[in-house]
Amino acid sequence: MATVTEPTGSTAVGTATSGRTGGWLRSSAAQALLVFVVLVAGYWVTRLMGEPSWAGGFPTGPGDRFMAWLDQVYAWIVANRNDSPLFLYFFNYISVGLGSAVVLINQALDFLTWAGVTALGLFTAWRVAGWRVALLVLATFAVFALTGLWTESMTTLALIITSVFIALLFGLPLGILAGRSEMFYRGLRPVLDFMQIMPAFAYLLPFVLLFGIGNPAAAVVTAVYALPPVVRITALAIREVPQGAIEATTSLGSTPWQMLTKVQLPMAKRTILLGVNQTIMLAVSMVVIASVIGAGGLGDAIYQALAKVNVGQAFQAGLAIVMLAIAMDRVTGAVGHGTRTPNIPERYRMPLSAAGLAVIILVTAIGRLFGLGAWPRDLSIDIATPVNIAYEWVQSVIGAYTAALATWTLNWILSPLDLLLSGSPWWLVVIAATALGWIFAGVRVAIVSAVSFLVIGLLGVWDNAMDTLSQVLVASLVTIALGVVIGVLMSRNDVLAAILRPVLDAMQTLPPFVYLIPAVALFGIGRIPALVAALIFALPPVIRLVNDGIRGVATGSVEAAVSQGSTKWQLLTKVELPMARGSLLLAVNQGIILVLSMVVMGALVGAGALGNDVVVGLAQNQLGLGLAAGLAIVCLGLFLDRVTQGRRAPRA
Amino acid sequence: MPRFLRRKGVLLRVVVAVLAMVMVSSCAVRTDQIARDPGVVRMALNGWVGYEASAEVLATILRDEMGYEVQLVRTDEQPSWQALDQGVLDVIVENWGHEDLFELYGPDGNDTVVDGGPNGNVGGIGWYVPAYMVDEYPDLPTMEGIKEHADLFRTAETGDKGEFLGGAPGFVTQDQGMINAFDLNLEIVFAGSEAAQITEVRRRYANEEPVLFYFYDPQWLQEELDFVRVEFPAYKPGCDADPEWVPCDYPQYHMNKIFRTGFVEEDGDSYQFLDNWHWTNEQQNEVARMIADEGIDASDAARIWVDENPDVWREWLPEGYENR
Repeated sequence: MATVTEPTGSTAVGTATSGRTGGWLRSSAAQALLVFVVLVAGYWVTRLMGEPSWAGGFPTGPGDRFMAWLDQVYAWIVANRNDSPLFLYFFNYISVGLGSAVVLINQALDFLTWAGVTALGLFTAWRVAGWRVALLVLATFAVFALTGLWTESMTTLALIITSVFIALLFGLPLGILAGRSEMFYRGLRPVLDFMQIMPAFAYLLPFVLLFGIGNPAAAVVTAVYALPPVVRITALAIREVPQGAIEATTSLGSTPWQMLTKVQLPMAKRTILLGVNQTIMLAVSMVVIASVIGAGGLGDAIYQALAKVNVGQAFQAGLAIVMLAIAMDRVTGAVGHGTRTPNIPERYRMPLSAAGLAVIILVTAIGRLFGLGAWPRDLSIDIATPVNIAYEWVQSVIGAYTAALATWTLNWILSPLDLLLSGSPWWLVVIAATALGWIFAGVRVAIVSAVSFLVIGLLGVWDNAMDTLSQVLVASLVTIALGVVIGVLMSRNDVLAAILRPVLDAMQTLPPFVYLIPAVALFGIGRIPALVAALIFALPPVIRLVNDGIRGVATGSVEAAVSQGSTKWQLLTKVELPMARGSLLLAVNQGIILVLSMVVMGALVGAGALGNDVVVGLAQNQLGLGLAAGLAIVCLGLFLDRVTQGRRAPRA
Repeated sequence: MPRFLRRKGVLLRVVVAVLAMVMVSSCAVRTDQIARDPGVVRMALNGWVGYEASAEVLATILRDEMGYEVQLVRTDEQPSWQALDQGVLDVIVENWGHEDLFELYGPDGNDTVVDGGPNGNVGGIGWYVPAYMVDEYPDLPTMEGIKEHADLFRTAETGDKGEFLGGAPGFVTQDQGMINAFDLNLEIVFAGSEAAQITEVRRRYANEEPVLFYFYDPQWLQEELDFVRVEFPAYKPGCDADPEWVPCDYPQYHMNKIFRTGFVEEDGDSYQFLDNWHWTNEQQNEVARMIADEGIDASDAARIWVDENPDVWREWLPEGYENR
């Protein structure tokens, strides 16, 4: 999810002339192929030389020392968590404060009873976003109730409220500062870039280290993960306030504070609210992943279903989360657009709010009078069983074929690639990575690539990192190939596009965990189900970007090509694809980063490699190993992101 | 819009007030000062079905017969201890060993957890192979047999080594140490969770494919499928001291309960009840089989058992609850 929200300007179409693009692609593709050939040759040469020690994996000495040091730090923290001033006066404040906030909000929601919460949600949604959205909110609450997950939903809601609040508390001021000071923004931007490349799974361990297990750590990690969009978009919004308005205010002699509160913020309000919207969406996705570090609620329900390979149960909880995400998106989105808000004259607003409040209080009172609490579990509809039956049927019909496909992919593609990467001399791999960086994106990225790979080696997780890299490469190739094909088809056929769009929406909001479970039953345990889950997770944005890119090609160019008699294939390969190059590159970049974030989660179904180090680190208290693996994941992400970003213009 | 903002404002003030109260009431904050509802029992839920059976039965009784709210939080074994240490959870109902953690968090260490005594379940971990393999290779379930036939277990994932199918990464293991000490040509593949492992074992069992895996007893699947435990030199105290070199089998475990010290000191009815609780492997398996084999929802399975066995669990209730 990390980089989806980046406001890049590269979707703009027609910036590159087709002639230059073709030449550039041809030559760099050839160069990349050359790098690959050199790597294969190097692998065979060292095999034939009997794998001398100078040509093996990265020496593990420094990494082992680093991990041992981290383990010592962790042991110190465990022994001093309730003694050291650093914890007593700082970290514990945060974790106890946030943990308590989650409990208190949860209690408040419990106090309101299901009737009161529904009334509050409906009224607020109607007031800020109109009756259509209010109906959607009603449907969401109905799903919470009827899936028998009311209590879990309230916990998740409490967690999201807490962490979004914290994210905004820090994000808005940071964004305002960045909007007003160019220097501050320049300093902040690499940090935000970094945060958005970092896969969600790699966030977990450092926060466990400082804030422990459970809801407090989950709230902090969710807040941090959700922070970048609100900072970025607030800064952007403040910058976009017209210069004229600012000069006029200055000339009237207003103070900087007045300028901020009376001019800049009001004028930037709508854009800022879109940033808030993005932050909420990221928080929803992270809250699910945080169940790995003991966060309660719907994420926990999915995690438990995953542990039992119970597809139906996971689907039920997944449905509740999707509804929650859609409802929150529509409510905050409507606030941002301001279009659907009911038009109420100024003088009725206060009385109306008071009436709404009275209704909510009344409903709550009645609810409490009748001893309502959470929605009773008995009054729920069982979706899990039919889903499980359908799923078992699918498994029995195609299970044998998918298992065979899995074995074939493993034997003929994944294992050789893994062997090539981890069996080659480590310095040859570093050189290859550097060369790829140079070919695709220039000298600076070449340096970043080299440093990333060296750091991975120094962290002591070289072999597992190469394993993860091979998984990412294979999954990305399949994702991009499929994504381009489907995206092109979708751009050609409006009916198909209309059918696919809601499917893609749902696929993108569904928590990534959910994909792991059916993948296991169809493809067995191991790396393949992780690849399949990554494919499903990363496909929607790729398809969407390709489709949008091609549809965005200027009609003039298309008509010119058609009138000159080009075939459909020529039209696609010579005109549309080259002109949509910006979108295609962005699709590749997004696809690869999303694949990486999902592949490491595949450790939960036996994909091993770096993700497994994180899981083992967490489960066995080997924080050194877990943290080193987390950092290595970040390094891989940095390398993949920078190389695929290519020579695109620097971000706005 | 204004209402929306105003609600934010109220929220802000409430949170600021709460934070201020926390800061004023005590300057130094210990992790166990986190807000907690005394009517809520927070139970760790570790990832195997026997544990789940115990936890769900206890939760059902606490909820329906004693009026408590129960939170079951899914964590791995070691993080559960950590959560007890930090005051985020109250109890682990089925602990397998973990002497090192008790040293760290127990009375001689941080003094944040207390040994609650045995819960009645006795268990053993070991290496298992399916019976159909033993029919074909009678010497297989021994250390020498595994060594000789390691290549039987080769899979696409492990290449030229045999595959040893591990359970969840969080389980207690000494498998790598045993592989090293007995010089076995095996590679551990973690299934990621117990359920994933069971799914995989079942699939291979159905096709009569070879499989060598980490398993344990009491486990309901043992009664459904026919497994043979591989014999290794018996456990002697201290033989597992070096995790990289373990020349012996797993020990027998007498499972015990672990409480948060603060939870014991409060001495509420929920603690009394959990302290009294004690049951056998057979009783646990009755519930576990319903959950895992018959696919009944865990809380429903617990409900069925509770309805059928009132005379068993009435013994566990603290004074004042017997007649309700």
